[in-house]
Amino acid sequence: MNQQEGYADDVVKGFITWSMVWGLVAVLVGVLISFQIAFPQLNLPPYLTYGRLRPIHTNAGIFGWGIGSFMAFFYYITQRLTRTGIWSPGLARVQLWLFNLAIALAAVTLALGMNRSKEYAELEWPVASLVVVVWVIFAINIVMTIVKRREEQMYISLWYILATLVGVAVLYLVNNASIPVSLTKSYSAYAGANDANVQWWYGHNAVAMVLTTPPLAIFYYFLPKATGVPIYSHRMGVIAFWSLIFMYLWTGAHHLLWAPVPDWVQTLAMAFSVMLIAPSWAAVFNGYFSMNGQWHQMRENYLVKFLIFGITFYGAQTLQGPSQSIRTFSAFIHFTDWVPGHVHMGTLGWVSLVLFAAIYYTLPRIYGTEIYSIRLANVHFWLVLTGQLMFSISMWIAGVQQAAMLNATNPDGSLHYSFMETMIEIYPYWHIRALGGVVYLAGLCVFLYNIWKTVAGAKTQGAAQPA
Amino acid sequence: MDLASIYYLGVTILLFLVFAAIVARTYSKKHKASGEEPKYRMMNDDHPEENGKGGRDVRRK
Repeated sequence: MNQQEGYADDVVKGFITWSMVWGLVAVLVGVLISFQIAFPQLNLPPYLTYGRLRPIHTNAGIFGWGIGSFMAFFYYITQRLTRTGIWSPGLARVQLWLFNLAIALAAVTLALGMNRSKEYAELEWPVASLVVVVWVIFAINIVMTIVKRREEQMYISLWYILATLVGVAVLYLVNNASIPVSLTKSYSAYAGANDANVQWWYGHNAVAMVLTTPPLAIFYYFLPKATGVPIYSHRMGVIAFWSLIFMYLWTGAHHLLWAPVPDWVQTLAMAFSVMLIAPSWAAVFNGYFSMNGQWHQMRENYLVKFLIFGITFYGAQTLQGPSQSIRTFSAFIHFTDWVPGHVHMGTLGWVSLVLFAAIYYTLPRIYGTEIYSIRLANVHFWLVLTGQLMFSISMWIAGVQQAAMLNATNPDGSLHYSFMETMIEIYPYWHIRALGGVVYLAGLCVFLYNIWKTVAGAKTQGAAQPA
Repeated sequence: MDLASIYYLGVTILLFLVFAAIVARTYSKKHKASGEEPKYRMMNDDHPEENGKGGRDVRRK
């Protein structure tokens, strides 16, 4: 029997299942485009080219795998932290179907070349409008569940969940404001530097409100659950939350350093980006201090490995990010392969490792069974860790080399290397990146097999039980 | 200093004061126990308090 009877967990199962499907799509397409960069002849126009596939990769990864999982765990966590069922399970089911419809439409329209050409906001207005409907349903359901809660005090994860709901809504509506000219084409409501400023206010805060606050909500919930020991300091979590929220929304313009936006806007973004180290590392320290006397669990508990490596990559990510926002360093690494190395440490390392742990913890509980194989989970961990490190480290080295070559000048001030010469030097690293993607994909396949056997085993057990 | 600058400075100071108030309240001795309580209560949340869906708004106590 399901040991957590009383909570509406069917929709959690649905979101987890579909997020894994979209995650597989994201990694498959990611591996394909990494090979297309290393071997350009693999680009098959018009549909199977890097230009069409890249936004499918990012949308499937960030929104299909990321948001899909967050929806699952927000429902799972919110019910438990409020000790009440979802406000409307029916609405949550509608949301699941609309969510999948939106992601499928995104994949199809992007493959057909319908694209607003805005980073992480590529979807044309009909699909973008559907996303708004999905988010409104989601927000209403979660907020109403929290309003009707039976726990007076809100655990820190709930604050991060609320911030995500509000933050994404504001960002998405402002940046997607556009003027439709046909069913498949619209123009941004902003122009020039204003458009760029709005876009990167959105672009960076999508990282804040999609790839930072939700995994933190999940981390703060599942680390204590996995270790069996409460987090080190709830109050530190609260202060870190508020300082993160106060600071993050000012940082987007660090993507526009050296661009024609006002200097004070750039400096403000840079200053707030550097200050963000404090709340980010408060979460990292909270995680590490929670392990006091529990570090042996890194050997014995596979969930802890995923979570602690995840928060460690978050720590590394939040040192890289602020340093990249400093003008001189930004000038050095901008437009180089350092940037995908940085981004993928966040997505493959921080976000995905935390989500893997959450899925391993949650699914056996809501299916009332045990994980199929802890050994396979460990194999999965080492494969994805190796794949991610191969990807990130090769790109960091490639980025520094690329930057050094692009900045090298002769005594007369002319460039020492042509652009083509810099490209040729980068090919070995692109091969390593593609190989890293294959290793990560192998790890993902092990994960999916383990989960499939876990769920199949649970169904078999259920069928074998006497009526 | 023009009106816009005074407005921006005012908003900045206001936000800082709000944040300082949150820090002061969170770390006050009076709220220490209640501030840390949720981390213990969440460790035992695998069952709803009562059967059935829905609940009541605790803020209406």
